Amino acid sequence: MNRFLPAIALVAIAAIANRAANAEPAVPSFVEETASDGMATVYSGEWEYMVGGGAAAFDCSGDGFPDLFLAGGASPAGFYRNISRQGGELRFEKQASGLELETVTGAYPLDVDSDGIMDIVLLRVGENVIMRGLGNCRFERANEMWGFDGGDAWSTALAATWEDGADFPTIAIGNYIDRHEEGFPWGSCTANWLHRANGARFAAPVSLKPSHCALSMLFTDWNRSGTPSLRVSNDREYYKGGQEQLWRIETGTEPRLYSADDGWETLRIWGMGIAGYDLNFDGYPEYFLTSMADNKLQALADPAPETSPRPAYTDAAFAKGVTAHRPYVGENVKPSTAWHAQFEDVNNDGLADLFVAKGNVAAMPDFAMEDPNNLLLQKADGSFVEAGDRAGIGSTAISRGAAIADFNLDGLLDLVVVNRWEEAQLWRNTSADNANWLQVRPIQPHGNRDAIGGWIEVKHGDAVMRREITVGGGHAGGHLGWWHFGLGGQTEAQTRIVWPDGETSAWEKLRARHFYTIQRGRTATVWQPR
Amino acid sequence: MARIIVRIAFRAAACRMLLVIATATAAPALAQPAETRSEEVLGTWYRLTLELVRHTPTYSPPVASRAFAYLGVTAYETVASGRDELMTLAGQLNGLTPLPARDPGLDYDDATALQASISLLMENLFANTGPTGQRAIDAIARKLDAVARAEVDSDIADRSIAYGRTLGEHVLAWAAQDGGSVVENMGFPFRYELKPGPQHWVPTSTIGQQQVPLLPEWGGNRTFAMPDGATCSLPPPPAYSEEPDSPFFVEAREVYDVSLTLTEDQEAIARFWSDDPMLTPTPPGHWLAIALQVLGEKEAALEMRVDALARLGIGLADAFIGCWHDKYKYDLVRPLTYIRRVIDPAWEAILITPPFPEYPSGHSTQSGAAAEVLTYLFGANYAFEDRTHDDDGLPARRFDSFWHAADEAGISRLYGGIHYRAAIELGLDQGKCIAAYTNALVTRVRP
Repeated sequence: MNRFLPAIALVAIAAIANRAANAEPAVPSFVEETASDGMATVYSGEWEYMVGGGAAAFDCSGDGFPDLFLAGGASPAGFYRNISRQGGELRFEKQASGLELETVTGAYPLDVDSDGIMDIVLLRVGENVIMRGLGNCRFERANEMWGFDGGDAWSTALAATWEDGADFPTIAIGNYIDRHEEGFPWGSCTANWLHRANGARFAAPVSLKPSHCALSMLFTDWNRSGTPSLRVSNDREYYKGGQEQLWRIETGTEPRLYSADDGWETLRIWGMGIAGYDLNFDGYPEYFLTSMADNKLQALADPAPETSPRPAYTDAAFAKGVTAHRPYVGENVKPSTAWHAQFEDVNNDGLADLFVAKGNVAAMPDFAMEDPNNLLLQKADGSFVEAGDRAGIGSTAISRGAAIADFNLDGLLDLVVVNRWEEAQLWRNTSADNANWLQVRPIQPHGNRDAIGGWIEVKHGDAVMRREITVGGGHAGGHLGWWHFGLGGQTEAQTRIVWPDGETSAWEKLRARHFYTIQRGRTATVWQPR
Repeated sequence: MARIIVRIAFRAAACRMLLVIATATAAPALAQPAETRSEEVLGTWYRLTLELVRHTPTYSPPVASRAFAYLGVTAYETVASGRDELMTLAGQLNGLTPLPARDPGLDYDDATALQASISLLMENLFANTGPTGQRAIDAIARKLDAVARAEVDSDIADRSIAYGRTLGEHVLAWAAQDGGSVVENMGFPFRYELKPGPQHWVPTSTIGQQQVPLLPEWGGNRTFAMPDGATCSLPPPPAYSEEPDSPFFVEAREVYDVSLTLTEDQEAIARFWSDDPMLTPTPPGHWLAIALQVLGEKEAALEMRVDALARLGIGLADAFIGCWHDKYKYDLVRPLTYIRRVIDPAWEAILITPPFPEYPSGHSTQSGAAAEVLTYLFGANYAFEDRTHDDDGLPARRFDSFWHAADEAGISRLYGGIHYRAAIELGLDQGKCIAAYTNALVTRVRP
């Protein structure tokens, strides 16, 4: 069944077309608060840590403020409890949590046992570990308790979903090169694993072959069929005969790759990160794929209404101004290296913007060493304009993972970036002329508490903004908690949830500048920090 | 013993190059005859070269061909310096002055000298490769150091290493002056003004970096065996026209029509010879892979191996310089642009159109040169199975001769929708012309 409503999309597109297409978007202001925020984690290590460096933002203290976990590579990972005050400066406190493992490349928050306390999956060079949340930001190893085989690979990507009727999530783990191959590592991509539920445990993992050195994975309902597929972005540096991948993951059946016969076209890039968002309000997500000099913005080639589209995509990066292929400041001729990507509305104008973390692999002379992070602001005509330098987040540290979240719960999205060989950086969004916003957290009563695989829909003018609730993508890390929408000048917004099983809640009018929890089967409830 | 320790031609089946390459990194260093050790050093570095060409972003096909030439000359001169029957290429190649000589009163070990000279070249030619490539170079160097030195007297080994490095430094100093030693931004100039007029090249890619063409100055580089980049310059392509009865339109129409009726075999041919940079060893690497395969099949002696690798590298490098000279002389529009403009706005080629002018076809020119060089070395009717793309899952293809393969490589570009027929046919001719200069090099002392 296609849950997409084409009529809404047509109205939305017409509405967007009527906006002032060339109006410059408001440039947000960020203030770096790294020096005072209490964080001191460096993503360290040599060759085995040239990729990874993820950040995870999630609330484990129960106060609603997103806490932070930062991968440390060869050094211990860092956990930081958020002690910021609403609207105040960003402050974090390093706290012993049980998460301070070494060889961590990345992490994704995920409430595995749906007990309402966030758990977290740690990706590592070596054994991956699921850490069960105990409350008050304490964690314990749960591999044995939950039957999770952590393997012994170089893990670099994760995506999670809940298959129909499952008690536990399905977790895909992306693995990289055989790290023991020294002279000829090319072509040695190790198998990605799919951990499916077996009751309230994980079954033995299934290899997702062929595997092509994944650096990002995302379960996403690309065709609005109601069943997410697994997108895998692969690093062409190491595979032979590989390409980007899209797997059918259907309950009770073996994973199957989409092929050319299905319309999936061969694309071979240095795939490093995935960001998905319905940018053009047509009901289907577009995907930004990070790479080295040839980043892609994929849009469905033929989003045919009322039929299931084929997985054929066109690259709109050039047309939309998001190639981000070389540094945007200075005269540096060398190309850029892109890692984490995330769509968020950083200026609250109702249009998703794009953040891209940049940084040389190590010291590759063919690529820019001074490679500023991007903040590409979406214009009303759907194109993007670079504003990283003007917004104050154009760091030229060697960046990897990142997380955009509202760390001080003021409605303005903040930013943390993990850097290789340098301390992570934190920026507070201090925009003064900000527009309105809304933040929502859907909650299910039993399994899949955070409604992974569902959609949040918010009406903005004649358009419907949609966010897919996902765990995965980016580069080696992500966030889970409040889902943010910019509302521009709108003071309230009709909002509803498409729950993971397809049931849709009624539209509710929610007030701007508020946080809402939406429990399934109940009306939305205003939430305020204590 | 005067100039070398071992001159015994050890050609047992055990020294088949492919077997040596396959086991090079796994096997411990064992005492082996000098020729076997030399072939292991040579074969392993060349295997790594094909990987690094694929995995170093600077290495577009012209840049790759240049590396193959300098590596080949280095290997050849290192071996030739210890062989009375081999002649130096100094004085035959443009700008190559006499190389350091071995001390006639002292003993040297070929394998150790080769290891020293080639590893120096690898470190320098692939200085831009990423951390994995650097790690691989270090790992292979360590292993081959052990292989090369196995049971060689330490005085001889040290002297051979010093000699090999001195020779390598001489080659590197020569290479530094050829105009192609510094490649920035993967070969795409920071500023480039497109020529006005519908006949001229315009970008065909939506990759930001490729809005300017690749290596527009490459045709001015110093050549190796032929006088300069203009030596085998081609006549102009058919005059640009959008008239349906014009030769230009007819050629474009052929590309379009073929694309509409492409057979399974034609598509397989297009993909087999696609040889995309960053995804394969590139077109010159494809021919190098063929040569390595043939040398292994023939169980060729070390002298033959280094002679063949030097000649093929030189021929390929000169082919790219000559081809690039003409590409920017004529600056012709690609079929993708013309067909969409004149015939079918929605047309798609099955291959990715390379980001530089159309005429002549680079793959055709260098394939013509390679076929001519390999025919000179191995004969006109040497049949072989090309297994270059086994690792990537593309089935091997059989050829009756090197020219059979070159002709197929050429026409593959028409099947792929990226070249007109004139660029292919005249490109092959250009390669043949260029290779004549390579084949005229004298490597064997005439009795």
